Amino acid sequence: MVADSSIVEFLHSRAMSRIVVRDLTKVYGDLPVIDPLSLTIEPGSFVSIIGPSGCGKTTLMRIVAGLEPASSGMVQLDDATPAEARSRKRVAMVPQQPGLLPWRTVHANARLLLDVNTAANPPDATDPMALLEEVGLGDFLDAYPHELSGGMQQRVALVRALALHAPLLVMDEPFAALDEITRAEMRVILARLVEGRGATVLFITHSISEAVALSDRVLVSSTRPSRMMADIAVDLPRPRSADVEDDPRFVALCADVRHALQAGRA
Amino acid sequence: MNRRIIAPVIGIVVFLGLWELIVRATDVRPFILRAPSRIVSYLLDNAGDYARAAWVTGIHALGGLLIALVVALVVGSLMAASSFLEHATQPVLILLQVTPFVAYIASVVLWLGSGTPPVLFITGLVCMPAFAFATVDGMRGADPAARELLASVDASRWEVLWRLRLPSSLPSLFTAARYNVGLALIAAYLVEGGNFANEGLGNIGRRAAALNEGDALWAAVFAMALLGTLFLLLISVIQRMALHWHVSQRPPRPNWG
Ligand SMILES: Nc1ncnc2c1ncn2[C@@H]1O[C@H](COP(=O)(O)OP(=O)(O)O)[C@@H](O)[C@H]1O
Ligand SMILES: [Mg+2]
Repeated sequence: MVADSSIVEFLHSRAMSRIVVRDLTKVYGDLPVIDPLSLTIEPGSFVSIIGPSGCGKTTLMRIVAGLEPASSGMVQLDDATPAEARSRKRVAMVPQQPGLLPWRTVHANARLLLDVNTAANPPDATDPMALLEEVGLGDFLDAYPHELSGGMQQRVALVRALALHAPLLVMDEPFAALDEITRAEMRVILARLVEGRGATVLFITHSISEAVALSDRVLVSSTRPSRMMADIAVDLPRPRSADVEDDPRFVALCADVRHALQAGRA
Repeated sequence: MNRRIIAPVIGIVVFLGLWELIVRATDVRPFILRAPSRIVSYLLDNAGDYARAAWVTGIHALGGLLIALVVALVVGSLMAASSFLEHATQPVLILLQVTPFVAYIASVVLWLGSGTPPVLFITGLVCMPAFAFATVDGMRGADPAARELLASVDASRWEVLWRLRLPSSLPSLFTAARYNVGLALIAAYLVEGGNFANEGLGNIGRRAAALNEGDALWAAVFAMALLGTLFLLLISVIQRMALHWHVSQRPPRPNWG
């Protein structure tokens, strides 16, 4: 059978990633950071990992993103290893610090990931202008990062990742440095942006309400070395708005997560 | 008018005024200290000669600075990429910085001949280490979040260098440039003096010293000072344009405590 490789590529780049982790461990020197971990994340789902500081969340994310080798076990993103997925630009990352380049305007920063390794850009890569307008930065396209508030900077970082049209989006406590009010705003913006996009999202946080408000599934990690204490399905209706937090089921789910966290500390 | 221009002008006027005052009030003899008014009037009487010589020295210093910068960017990039190279290169750079280059001017002139080549060679050589250290510092200081981000899409080494590391080193490079301006001018002046090409302020200065012509010598010194001021001004202008995004270029905010 003959297939047009560019069409295959195209379908590929649009597909959502299934993440399969099997018997993954990570050790730094003598320090075990991840105990044998196995999990499957369904394509298109929004999964949060919540756990205490230093438990190995960032390490797990960096392994999934292909930035760090596992000590043993394997991670598969669809049919690819993390390293392969990385070189094909199929993983879009939002780091904890926005990492904006101070000499680039908002618009140029949002384009940064499209400007490097251009051979791997998706064929339908478009200018992030529309996305910037969607997150309320339309009037700041030519502004420089130092002219933006923390929330606006993190919105640029979000657009920069989404502009890649990658099937997997990994976010490492992207809102941790923001104040409570801005965090709540960002939550709504993020929910709106990823719903209906089809990408698989791996979201790391240490905020219980953030995890429950955004996710289809919340994985609760113990203290280091990381073990998954609970796997909590969040069946709240979508699309989610800020009002989801008034839902009694939301409150109950938050309590479940909290209890699992407490069990993981013991 | 702009405070950034008025303040230095006032500083210089006050300095020269005090100097003039001391010379006039005391009976100090001119070969020990001569009045600035006398030096300036000599300079103005021979403005054409000095302007031509200053042009030559300015080009020499500028050329040396640019050569140093280009070499340092390559050396610095390599040093930032490999800590082995960094450790191997560091002592050589320090050696270049601390060696009194006056000692080897004659050798270099014999080797490269007279005229511009030995001037550019030595000026470039002595200015290179500060630029190289600045490059290494700036590149190492590149935002780790941005580095990780570029790695996450498999950006090439070259892309990381060009898009992240080089721009990150601009602020420290400008600091090094300010430091190097003085060094470049002095190196150009001294090598011109140790040369047989008979051009540049260094040549005027050397002949004046040999013939005990104090006015001519001090006029050369003043011309050097003017050149240095001009260079710093030029660097400030370029810096303002190239680093408009950097904290150093923002107006100070009032402190509301
Ligand atoms: N490169 C490294 N070398 C050694 N130890 C590391 C390294 N990266 C992380 N660690 C250790 O691994 C543990 C987990 O770190 P991390 O994954 O960043 O935690 P989290 O993101 O959950 O706060 C910490 O104790 C940290 O000190
Ligand atoms: Mg972390």
